[in-house]
Amino acid sequence: MMKLIFEKSVKGKKGYSLPKDLFDDIKLEECLPEYTIGKDKKDLVEVSEVEVIRHFTKLSKLNYGLDDGFYPLGSCTMKYNPRINEKLASLGNFIYAHPLAPVETVQGCLEIMYNLNKLLCEINAMDMFTMSPAAGAHGELTGNLIMRQYFLKRHEKRFKMLIPDSAHGTNPASASMANFKVIEFKSNENGTVDLKELDRLMDEETVGLMLTNPNTVGLYDEGIEEIEKIIHGKGGLLYYDGANLNASLGIIRPGDTGFDIVHLNLHKTFSTPHGGGGPGAGVIGVKKDLIPYLPTPIVCYDNDKNKYYLKDNGKDSIGMVRSFWSNFAVILKTYAWILSMGPDGLYEASETSIINANYLLTHLKKYYKPAYDRYCGHECTLTGREYKKYGIKTLDISKRIMDYGMHPPTIYFPHFEPYAEETIMIEPTESESKETLDNFIEIMLKISGEAKNNPELLTNAPHNTPIRRTNDMLAVKRPILTYDDELKLKNP
Amino acid sequence: MSNKIIEGLFYAKSDEWLKIEDGIGTIGISDYAQDQLGDIVYVESIEKGKKLKQGESFTTIESVKAVSDMNAPVSGEIIEVNEKIVDDTSLLNQDPYGEGWIAKIEIDNEDEVKNLMNSKEYSEYRKE
Amino acid sequence: MRYIPNTNEQKEEMLKNIGVSSFEQLIENVPDTVRLKGKLNIPDAMSESELEDHVVNISQKNSDFYSMKPLIGAGSYRHFIPEAVKSLLQREEFWTCYTPYQPELSQGTLQTIFEYQSYISRLTKMEVVVPSIYDGASATAEAALMALRLTHKNKIIISSLLHPHYLETVKTYLTPHESELINLPFINGLTDMEKLKSLLDEDTAAIIIQSPNFFGGIEKLAEISELAHTKKILLISVNVESMSLGILTAPGDNNVDIAVENAQSFGMDLNFGGPYNASLATKKQYIRQLPGRIIGETVDIDGKRAFVMTMRAREQDIRREKATSNICTNHNLNIVAANIFLSLLGTEGVYKTSLLNMKLAHYLEDLLLKSGKFEKVFDYPFYNEFLLKSKTDLSLLKTKLLENNFIPPLSISRFYNHNNLENVLLFAVTEIFNRDSLNKVAKVLSE
Repeated sequence: MMKLIFEKSVKGKKGYSLPKDLFDDIKLEECLPEYTIGKDKKDLVEVSEVEVIRHFTKLSKLNYGLDDGFYPLGSCTMKYNPRINEKLASLGNFIYAHPLAPVETVQGCLEIMYNLNKLLCEINAMDMFTMSPAAGAHGELTGNLIMRQYFLKRHEKRFKMLIPDSAHGTNPASASMANFKVIEFKSNENGTVDLKELDRLMDEETVGLMLTNPNTVGLYDEGIEEIEKIIHGKGGLLYYDGANLNASLGIIRPGDTGFDIVHLNLHKTFSTPHGGGGPGAGVIGVKKDLIPYLPTPIVCYDNDKNKYYLKDNGKDSIGMVRSFWSNFAVILKTYAWILSMGPDGLYEASETSIINANYLLTHLKKYYKPAYDRYCGHECTLTGREYKKYGIKTLDISKRIMDYGMHPPTIYFPHFEPYAEETIMIEPTESESKETLDNFIEIMLKISGEAKNNPELLTNAPHNTPIRRTNDMLAVKRPILTYDDELKLKNP
Repeated sequence: MSNKIIEGLFYAKSDEWLKIEDGIGTIGISDYAQDQLGDIVYVESIEKGKKLKQGESFTTIESVKAVSDMNAPVSGEIIEVNEKIVDDTSLLNQDPYGEGWIAKIEIDNEDEVKNLMNSKEYSEYRKE
Repeated sequence: MRYIPNTNEQKEEMLKNIGVSSFEQLIENVPDTVRLKGKLNIPDAMSESELEDHVVNISQKNSDFYSMKPLIGAGSYRHFIPEAVKSLLQREEFWTCYTPYQPELSQGTLQTIFEYQSYISRLTKMEVVVPSIYDGASATAEAALMALRLTHKNKIIISSLLHPHYLETVKTYLTPHESELINLPFINGLTDMEKLKSLLDEDTAAIIIQSPNFFGGIEKLAEISELAHTKKILLISVNVESMSLGILTAPGDNNVDIAVENAQSFGMDLNFGGPYNASLATKKQYIRQLPGRIIGETVDIDGKRAFVMTMRAREQDIRREKATSNICTNHNLNIVAANIFLSLLGTEGVYKTSLLNMKLAHYLEDLLLKSGKFEKVFDYPFYNEFLLKSKTDLSLLKTKLLENNFIPPLSISRFYNHNNLENVLLFAVTEIFNRDSLNKVAKVLSE
């Protein structure tokens, strides 16, 4: 068990460094009135730099990183994070650029944002992107607000949003934040949009449809042309959740299939690091008609003066969704990645990820019945249902995978019937070699055998990780959310 | 999968049960519901005196991995709330029809039970 | 392509395994009418060295910001970040890994967040902390929405000295909901208390006050919270410069209900505005209405202490349209940076740095007033940012400062168009400066 940093703190240890001149000639009480000054020093820790380095080095080794091995999480697109992108994002002229510095001093930053906009528009067949959203869900909220504004300005009272039951949880949550009524509808037995249902539900009170395509089980929805007719036919908008864009690069562009708004996760398809849970970015692209509603400001280029500048997007803009302009460091890495891949590389990425996913599907389906028996996109959905009779849940399978040194795939998502609970969703991305995939297949085969012959190995898994299965119920019933909570529990 | 069903009770599609005695209804969640939720950790506080319509949501029940809205099986006014389940949510899992009762409601109109299922119908509805 | 390991031969082999003769068969169901014809019209792939040249070239169209000292803050502060922070952040186990849904493989991430929650709790003296919001602006908006949910009332009083971007963001988030935002004017650079008293009523859900405010003034939060609580109104405090927590009164001691803390100053580079990170700190009783990821302590089956994502029933993947927020990410790597930063500075370092920032700012203000080229606008206690009215032309000042490698202060009329705020600058000072460089600033500005 690793100690907390607080448990390593000893009074007098020093990890900081300050210059000699601390302005002792100026007195605190002479600068500030009493009400402003804290009663006492806030008690944090006192540890040396050496101990901090050891502490966090040790902590890092308790993690499994993408550089350690396979991370087959469905819809997460855990692909290689190129090193050159990290180097470029740490250039001094970028990292020390203050967002409110005079515009003539930040032409480089603005050029990156402007250029990326052009590239993303071409890749997705859209007319303009906003770089404001700080995360995927943030982008979804932004997209919903744009759609809301669009109808407001047309004096159309629309308040419903159609969302398939296969959608990622952020979709209905975002629609709710825009105060839309979420109309969730069931997918058909092929896992794609039930066109009859969609037609029945679509009306002139509905804003539109939020669709992930390929969907969250990795299937390309062939009904897309019909879907477009149904939604646009009643004056609605079609929103694209780009979580699965990795199956489409250079093959199909959402703007060409009728989508009015496109949301992208830069930390998925576009290779920026996941960081253990962020930061990423969730840029939003729109067709011409929706440009006036994009968040403010937008990056423009003045041809006469040869200068980039930030422009207020006008009175119809939804306003700001964050402070300043973008998650610039993430934008920059995306820009670098697209330029490194070029048109051929982007196509190759999608092509390879689709081949990789189907390869896994082919070899694993004999042991883990697939949710849908057809070729998949860049991810495949299997199930662990046939192991139920041995008392094995998919959760147990995922924990056992850890014992073999790999990160498990996504489980229990999507959550919709009839495959709720026993799903295993695997996305291999283009960064995985055939060798890694063969290794994974072998491991899954082994586990399949263990499930039948030695189920306890699975139900008690993992055995080889720094900690084993956690008591999540205790965490909720007896919340310890800070070190002080822990101390209070020990010494009530 | 746990799916005990008690005769003589009424059941709603959203898995609440209702026992009527002298115009007062006792409400809880069915064995199927508690099994689906898993270990229950929290019940949102319920207002005594709250007037509800049949089907209206009046509290949420939270487990580690899920949250479920609880809906009034019939219209009426909440007259009593089971204090025991606040501290010991495990009662909902262990004894959902007995000690794990959730609230008592003064029923507006007993006719509304026609919109509910009896134990046989509920058994069909929640067949594995 | 070097990021794609499989060769064409390997792909051919795999296609055979799958049982198709070509890749096209796998994407048969993509209608021909919508397939991209030809290639994407973007530049051909650059080699690594070409890419480096290209981007470095673009970076040189920025000023040499490393060697420029910023006299500007306004929500983004340059502090010295110890190299140990950057070095540790390069460990791939911290930056390439995924969200910690599998705690057995993520104790590094989870313990780091738990420790950081503990730090913010102590710094703010608040019971519970969600450290997982993108930035201070969206965090303020989330706090406002939280207040609406908690009180079932619909009015929010917002200080006119809340960071303008934060104010805009709150407006954007609240527009779809039936709510009223009321502007709270300032007087002499601080909240107009008399006006505030007149604005409070039974429909008010919360008051949002930034302290130190946008002009740098330290608000009388204790007084405001007393006023608020007599009317059962929540007080939301917003802090854009978390380094100020070192010496100033903590939100908890001011009886604040929800504290928003922009954590950018804790180990995050300016990065032209993002990514940053912010926390929401509040009282335990409000925990179920908090948005965002929170980490709790538990044990594993062997009884070992372990950390897990907890109170998940609030979040989008479980609660979907009824979630407290749609937020999924927690801007994790910035939390790691902030934790390491605070661990190095520690109790003494945070206090001393905070104190130094305050003194440096007061030293500069004094110098500038003494030069005769500036005059005070208002008289309020400030931490490390202050307003001064310039007697000289602003564009001249700007040019001189840039020439001498200083990023100029903010011209306040960019955001405020009050008559008496013309020709007024918002200065910020951090420990990036020292006595010599501040003397130089004063010299440059008084020539």
